[in-house]
Amino acid sequence: MTTATATAATALESTSRRTEAATTTHRQTLGRAIRSEWIKLRTLRSTWIGMGAVILVLVGVGAIAAAVSTGSVTAPEDGGGFGGDDPLSTVLTGADFAVLLAGILGALAGAREYGSRMISATIAAVPRRWQVVVSKAVVLTGVVLPTALIGVLAAFSVGMGILSAGDGATVALTDDGVLRSVLGMAGYITAIALLGLGLGILLRSVASGIGVLIAGVMILPALAGALLPASLDSVLQLLPSSAAAAFTTVTGAGDSVLDATAGAVVLAAWVAVALGASILAITRRDV
Amino acid sequence: MDVHGDLFLKHKNPERPARETMIELQQLTKRYGDKLAVDGISATIRPGVVTGFLGPNGAGKSTTMRMILGLDRPTSGAARVNGRPYIDAPAPLAEVGALLDAKAVDSSRSARNHLLALAATVGIGPRRVDDVLASVGLTEVAHQSAGSFSLGMGQRLGIAAALLADPAVLILDEPVNGLDLDGIQWIRALLTELAQQGRTVLLSSHLMSEMQLVADHLLIIGQGRILADTSMDDFIEHSSGGGVIVASPDARALAPLLAADGVTLTSTGSGRFEVRGLTADAIGELAAGHGLRLHELAPIEASLESAYLELTRDSVEYAAASQPDFTPTDELQRAAS
Repeated sequence: MTTATATAATALESTSRRTEAATTTHRQTLGRAIRSEWIKLRTLRSTWIGMGAVILVLVGVGAIAAAVSTGSVTAPEDGGGFGGDDPLSTVLTGADFAVLLAGILGALAGAREYGSRMISATIAAVPRRWQVVVSKAVVLTGVVLPTALIGVLAAFSVGMGILSAGDGATVALTDDGVLRSVLGMAGYITAIALLGLGLGILLRSVASGIGVLIAGVMILPALAGALLPASLDSVLQLLPSSAAAAFTTVTGAGDSVLDATAGAVVLAAWVAVALGASILAITRRDV
Repeated sequence: MDVHGDLFLKHKNPERPARETMIELQQLTKRYGDKLAVDGISATIRPGVVTGFLGPNGAGKSTTMRMILGLDRPTSGAARVNGRPYIDAPAPLAEVGALLDAKAVDSSRSARNHLLALAATVGIGPRRVDDVLASVGLTEVAHQSAGSFSLGMGQRLGIAAALLADPAVLILDEPVNGLDLDGIQWIRALLTELAQQGRTVLLSSHLMSEMQLVADHLLIIGQGRILADTSMDDFIEHSSGGGVIVASPDARALAPLLAADGVTLTSTGSGRFEVRGLTADAIGELAAGHGLRLHELAPIEASLESAYLELTRDSVEYAAASQPDFTPTDELQRAAS
């Protein structure tokens, strides 16, 4: 496929300096679309600031929670909810913020080209539009997943270090279900970033994307849990945050009935639906 | 390297192109709600010439360009580039280079990175990007964020993006906007050369004088329909020209003599008026025959602007049905009565 189009010296030569070299162009493939999106994502400073922030809140908030739970730092008077009641959820206290940040970064990755209208150039360059969505999803995963893994593992070791120094209870990665929960948290953060991406493309607006994501992941579960009759609990367990709780906690998320695998499948289904819907939307509508 | 040789010939030898590169519009139609933005346009935009795309704001130019690029979907009809829909092109950027909106770049990304990202879709690397940046004169600011660019610099960046993959077809929407004199002269030379190399160039602009200098062919649309699809020379030649400026102290006596079917008189000041539909010779003879004095008798040279205004005025008059050809301004009306 390397000779799809070869081109001659351009019109530019006479207007500026002479370039004898011909430009050889290649077939546009999914791989090249991914490479293009990778260049776009890595050349935005906000990407790296965001990733740094994800690691910072995971480690920082986890360390504070660990310190508070050992009594070496005094909790605020009404800070009863700060930190979990088991060592693992204590050191991963920052995950809520990391999830929120990842969602915002995802929505930005999906919608910012609609704000700048750059999306026209993107789709003119990659007219098979599903490739645009898939490429954005691939590079976002490629950035968020490693970041989240570094973040949760660092939060785990720093947090457990603080707990053991303060004579608190600790768990090890080799303990039953701990490694799964830690890695699961990185997966959850990545999944929310992808949900944000899908919503951003679907709604073509960073603000709406973030709004719907926060409503769906943070507000709706709490609100519905409080307002709906218990008979609907099995439905609530299918919300992204509840599904994630099934595999990010060792003990299971309270009244969640989903097991870890089912939780992961449900969350993956949410991501698939969001990305599938955004592919459908971007393919059918005018840019 | 045979492939390179063939394609090199394609550009260097417009008489015998290796492959016919053109844009074909077939009954292209776009409807937004109950408004027809583009109403069944059929045209062929050919290689080797610059085709000027003219029409008032809202006539459907940008929508047509967006449909050619597959950004907006036609309600009916089709647009083809080199014989197939643009979205089926194996290497889209190498097929059509487009500048639709110079401001549509991510403001926090550098110019060079913007081009690198686009270039990557067809496997073009940094060397070509740097070459193109140099040729549009943006090397110095290549690492500045595109958001800091003036409109003129943004246009240069947009043109760089269009030329990146050396496409055989170029679609440029108002590329001259915001360019300084240097930039305008540069793009004029560039467009002419691109066409001479056998490329298909579709160019929209509101600047008639600029268009007259670069375009060889014209596609004029109004209210979503084609008003003219003709060569520049024919279009201007077949217009009635810009009329004739007449200045006469005997204007009141002269005006009624000139008033006839197909003749338009427009007062432009005391004792001065513009005549359309009669040659300077005929007016001179008529005045001499009646012993009327003429202080000035000057044909206005026909231009794209005058021809375009005539065309659009005709379409307005057509809509207003049977208006008398004589335009009764105050002074002339008094003279005629």
